[in-house]
Amino acid sequence: MGPAAETNIHVVRRTRLVYVLLSLIFGVFVLRAFYLQVIKYEYYHKAALSDQLKEYEIPAERGTIKAHMGDSTVSIVLNEKLYTIYADPSLVKANQADKVANTLADVLGGNASDYKNKITQKDTRYVVLAKKISKDARANLLRHKYPGIGSEEQSYRTYPDGSLASQLLGFVNNEGQGVYGVEQDLNSKLAGTNGQLKAVTDINGVPLAANTGNILKEPVAGDDLTLTIDVGMQKQLEDIVKKGYDNSKAQGVSAVIMDANSGAVKAMGNYPTYNPADYGNVEDSNIFNNAAVSHPIEVGSVMKSLTTAAAVDSGAVKANQTYYDPASWTVDDFKITNIEEDGGAGTKGLKEILNLSLNTGATWELMQMGGGQLNLKGRETWYNYMTQHYMLGKATGIEQGYESEGYVPKPEDNGAGINLTYANTSFGQAMTATAIQMAGAMSAVVNGGTYYKPYLVDSTTNANNKTTVTKPTVVKSNVVSQSTTDTIVPLMEYVVQKHHFSRSFDESTYAVGGKTGTAQIAKPTGGYYDDEFNGTYLGFVGGDKVQYVIAVFTYRPKVAGYAGTAAAQPIFGDLAHMLIDNFAVTPKTK
Amino acid sequence: MTYSSSLAVGRKSAGLSRNQNTASFRGRERALGPVSNTVILIVLACLLGLLYLTQVTKTNAYGYKINSLQEKQSQLAEEHDDLEVASARLQSVDRVQSSTVAQGMATVTPTATVQD
Repeated sequence: MGPAAETNIHVVRRTRLVYVLLSLIFGVFVLRAFYLQVIKYEYYHKAALSDQLKEYEIPAERGTIKAHMGDSTVSIVLNEKLYTIYADPSLVKANQADKVANTLADVLGGNASDYKNKITQKDTRYVVLAKKISKDARANLLRHKYPGIGSEEQSYRTYPDGSLASQLLGFVNNEGQGVYGVEQDLNSKLAGTNGQLKAVTDINGVPLAANTGNILKEPVAGDDLTLTIDVGMQKQLEDIVKKGYDNSKAQGVSAVIMDANSGAVKAMGNYPTYNPADYGNVEDSNIFNNAAVSHPIEVGSVMKSLTTAAAVDSGAVKANQTYYDPASWTVDDFKITNIEEDGGAGTKGLKEILNLSLNTGATWELMQMGGGQLNLKGRETWYNYMTQHYMLGKATGIEQGYESEGYVPKPEDNGAGINLTYANTSFGQAMTATAIQMAGAMSAVVNGGTYYKPYLVDSTTNANNKTTVTKPTVVKSNVVSQSTTDTIVPLMEYVVQKHHFSRSFDESTYAVGGKTGTAQIAKPTGGYYDDEFNGTYLGFVGGDKVQYVIAVFTYRPKVAGYAGTAAAQPIFGDLAHMLIDNFAVTPKTK
Repeated sequence: MTYSSSLAVGRKSAGLSRNQNTASFRGRERALGPVSNTVILIVLACLLGLLYLTQVTKTNAYGYKINSLQEKQSQLAEEHDDLEVASARLQSVDRVQSSTVAQGMATVTPTATVQD
C-alpha cells in the first residue's frame, strides 16, 4: 500500500472517530432529554402546573330586588362594586410615610396620624385602611402609585332608599349569606351559582387558550325579584308607624297592608327600624327581625271579629240574633267580665259584641258553637275555625326568615281549665298570632271566604331574562260563606262609625271597618300583668268590595287609655285615609 | 462459457443490446452520508416543532384577544351596574320627597269622588 492510500485510511479513521464522538455527545443529550421528559415527566409536569395552573372561583352576581312604584318598578336593593384600601407596611417607604398618610387622609377622609400609624406597623404585611371606597376615590388614590398601597374589589349590597322596608328585605352578611327577611328566605335563588376557572396561565394570570385542559364554568347570576310592595305605600306606612310609635311611646309598632283579594302584601313595616347598609353597627339584633311575621302576641279583642264570623258561619248564631248578656260568666271558677264598663247586663246582639268589645259576648258565641255551653263540641268547632279556616297556629309561608307559627291551644281536656282557656281564645287571649297571620285570616273573612297565602314576591327574572309571575295561591276556599262576609263587613263598619277618629270616614263612599284589641301581656311566671298591654287593630278599606286589610300591632304602648283605642286605632285611621287618598280605593256604587 | 459469451450475458443482464459500449463511464455516485441524514432529520424535526409552536402561539394570541374582550365586557357591565345604582339613588323616595319640586307642593285631601 502506498503512502497516499495510508493517508486516506488515516483521514477516514479520524473522520469516523469524530463522527463517533459527535454521536456519543448527541446520544448523551438524547438520553438526558429522555430522562427529563419521559422518566421525570410527572415530576416536572406537576412543578410547572403548580406555578402555571390557577384555579379561581368566579363569584355569581347576586340578584337584585325591585318593588312597585305605581305602575312601574324601581330597584330597592342593588349590587355595587366598592373597594377596600389596604397597605403592606413592609413596602411603604419610610421617607414617604408622612406624604402617603396625608394623601390617604385627603382622599379617604379621617386622620392622617391614624393612617401613618397603620402604614408604619412592623408586625404585619396587610392592614386595612378603609372599606367601601368608591371607584373614583380609589383611582384618585392609586394614581400616586405609592409602593405598598393597594386595593381589593368587593361587591356590596346597596339600598338606595336607606332604611325603607329594611326588616322585610333583610341583609347580606360578610359571608355572602342572606340574613333575615327576603334575603334569607330566598337566599338560594338570589345567590345564583358560582362559576369556576381552572386554567394554565401566563405570568400575568391570563389563561392560555391553547391548553386543552382548561375548565371554564360560567357563573349563573342570581334571580332578580320584584316584590308586591308599593314603595310609595311602604314609605307612607313607615312614616305613619313612626308617628304612632312616637305618640304611643310603645316599645315597637308593626303594620301590614294586604290586598284582601290576592294575599299580596302591599306594605309591611315596623318601628324601630335600621339601615341594612349599616347592619354592622346595630347594637340590638332584635331590631333585624320583622316583628310583623316573627313576633306573635295575644291579639286581644280583634279576635272577636273572627269569633263572630265563625259563630255565624257554623250556624251556631244568626246574624240578627240577640241574647241576654249577664255581664259576667263563671268558667272553671274564674269570672269572665268585660273591660268596657258600659257593657252591663242586658240584651245584646252581634253589633254590641263588637262595638262594646264584650268578652262575655265572645264567650257566648263560643257557647253557641257547643250547643249552648262550653264543651268539647264548641271547643273543637272553634279550634277547627282557628286552625283550618283562619290558618292560625301555623306559618303562612310568606317569604321571610324566622316566621313564627304563633300558638293555638288544643281543644282536648287537659285537666287545667280548658274551658277557661278556650273562653279566653274567643277574645284573643290564651293564643298568639302575628300581624301577618291576622291579616291573612281577616282577608278570608271579608273577601267572601277565600284564604290566600300571604306573599311578597310578585315575579322572578332569571339569568336568561325569563320572568315568572307569581299567581295568588288559594290555601282554602269556603273559609266562611259569602253571607257570613256580608254579615261581618257591615258589623265592622258599624264599629268604625261608632269610634272616634281624628279624621272621620265618609261611610256612604267607602267601606271602612275594624276592631280594636287591648291584650293583657302574660308574665313569664304565670298570670298577666295588671299594667302592661299590647294594642292591636284589625280592619279593612274598600267600596262595594273590600280591597285592603290592615293589621296594626303596638307593643306595650304607654299612652293613657286602652291600648287598642289609644295606640293602635289612630295608626289604623291614618293608614286607611292614606289608602283612600292615594291608592285608588274604588268607592261604593250602591 | 467463452469470454465473448460472458460479455453477451453481461450485456443482456444490463439491458444493453449489441454494439453498445458496455464499458461505460460510471460517474461518481452522490449519496447522503449518515451525518447528513442525521442533520436533515434534526432540521425536519425542528421544522415540525416550529409548525406546532406557531399554531399554539396563534391560539394563545386569540386567547389574549378573548381575554381583552372579556375585560371590556366586564368593564361595560360594571359601568351599567354603576349607572343603575345612580339611577336608583336619584329615584329614591327620600330624595324625591326632599327635592325642591316636592317641597313646593301642598298636601291635598280629596273631598269628593266622581263616578261614571
